[in-house]
Amino acid sequence: METIDKSPRRRSHIYASEARVAYICLIPAFIGLIFLTYLPLLSVLGISLTNWTGLAAPKFVGIDNYIQLFKTDPYIKDSIIATIYFAVLSVAGSMIYSLFIAMLLNRKIPARGFFRAVFYVPYVLPAAAIYVGWSWLYEANFGFFNFLLSEVGLHKVLFIADSSHVVPSLSLISVWLAGNLIVIFLAGLQNVPSVYHEAAEMDGANGWQRFRHITLPCMTPIIFYNLLMSLIANLQVVTPALSLTNGGPGNASRFMTYLMYDQAFVNYKLGYACATTFVIFAILAAFTGVLFKTSKGWIFDEGGDDK
Amino acid sequence: MSEAAFGRLKSKKRKDRTANLITLVVVVLFAVFVLFPIWWIFRTSLMTNAEIYKYPPSLLPADWLFSNYKKTLEIFKFWKYLWNTMIIIVPSCLAGTFTATLCGYAFARLRFRGKQLIWALCVGSMLLPAMVTLIPLYIGWTRGLGLHDSYLPLILPYFCGGGAFNIFLIRQFIVSIPRELDQAATIDGAGYFRILFSIIVPAIRPAMIVVALFIFITLWNDLLQQMIYINSSDKFTIALGLTNFRGQLKQDWSLTMAATCMSFAPGVLFYLIGQKYFVEGITLTGMKN
Repeated sequence: METIDKSPRRRSHIYASEARVAYICLIPAFIGLIFLTYLPLLSVLGISLTNWTGLAAPKFVGIDNYIQLFKTDPYIKDSIIATIYFAVLSVAGSMIYSLFIAMLLNRKIPARGFFRAVFYVPYVLPAAAIYVGWSWLYEANFGFFNFLLSEVGLHKVLFIADSSHVVPSLSLISVWLAGNLIVIFLAGLQNVPSVYHEAAEMDGANGWQRFRHITLPCMTPIIFYNLLMSLIANLQVVTPALSLTNGGPGNASRFMTYLMYDQAFVNYKLGYACATTFVIFAILAAFTGVLFKTSKGWIFDEGGDDK
Repeated sequence: MSEAAFGRLKSKKRKDRTANLITLVVVVLFAVFVLFPIWWIFRTSLMTNAEIYKYPPSLLPADWLFSNYKKTLEIFKFWKYLWNTMIIIVPSCLAGTFTATLCGYAFARLRFRGKQLIWALCVGSMLLPAMVTLIPLYIGWTRGLGLHDSYLPLILPYFCGGGAFNIFLIRQFIVSIPRELDQAATIDGAGYFRILFSIIVPAIRPAMIVVALFIFITLWNDLLQQMIYINSSDKFTIALGLTNFRGQLKQDWSLTMAATCMSFAPGVLFYLIGQKYFVEGITLTGMKN
């Protein structure tokens, strides 16, 4: 962290010009932080206390929106459950999958660069197209997955058209998309000092012991980073609902961000939607906070070489 | 080395070779799992609808019906959508990278009053989920500034530092460059902007490319914001065009898949060209935090 220099007076004119340059450089960031971040954040709270629909002038209604949201809203509960369900499945799935693949790719196998590229490909495809494409694989009668199921003698599954399967089906897609996590994990694995492994091998540690006591502890900072980023991203999931399911079937995929979109941009209840936004924000903050709080316990700090 | 130790080493080598072989097999299986959906989508795009519904389905199309693409293009205005998407992406990438570099430089190298506070606000905004500010920003752009059915609400935010994450990345990168370089230039009489553009910028080129790529990926994957701000169909982007196209042609899977494949193509092409930077960039973000 920086400290502000307490500079001797005779050099202060240099600092004045330095500061002037700094403020010029930071003009875009100032505008961004004020008008695109913190002011909107405050206004979410402000608008959430009104009954604004975008037409008439907004009227102050106190916390009515929040009361209505928790007492009578038909969607919010399902929406929170669906979102958390999706996020937990997707985050757990993609973390395990990507760490596993990264560990395989970290071994001496031929054409490693090629395979790394293959696993990364899904990440560069536009999300909207991915969901449209997968909807064909999930198709109820002629889709590929149902062909597989019928081949092994199982009943057909409706996947995204079935309220109890839609969330796991969408989670599988987000696991498939986790190529960027693999690349980050792989880079982390290559930074684990090989002397540790060699020393442990001398002492007769087997593969699992080395993974458990060397690889895993050295990787904890990167695991934390990936966990945090994919949790924040997955809790804000909205694209599959927008492009594919429209929140259905039933409310099974009415994710929180989609609910907010629906209230604000389909039903034009701006005040009410802002209340929803604030609730979502609180949930996201709670998840992030818990993750940070527990992180001190399990992140292994090698000490030193990283500033 | 004793005879026994030598034997142990040899058997370890053999064991390693078997393990590597198993690894390779597993990696290939997973690679197939990753590529298969893309192949399935592609092969569907080249089939007649009758062939699609055949049982059992075949892995390869009987005739490679590239005419499906021609038919799709009559309804799915791919080139127009691609052009529209680029109108959003290109200025955003350039402006975002440029302003992120300016801000990152100020935070990394310059001394000024209020630095810690502004830095804290900047880092704090990194944890703020984008969806939280969606509604107020929409109100601001459309009601406040009257920008209806316009690309500007999507582009202009990138003129404001390109997002806290990107500023953070650039700043971390500049911090890791030895200060002696700019000190030497200062002695030679170079001003702060001279130092930035002739010393810092060449040294952080990889990080700047990464920032541009991130902005590209973010906009490329976006659907929500494009849906909110863009209304008229001649302004549709690829994501909007495809979503709309699917709605029109619910059952015509071969044409829908042809449109999907076309939407895949620019990303794949871009990736093949810039693969090195993609991988380097993603790696950087993991390491610099």
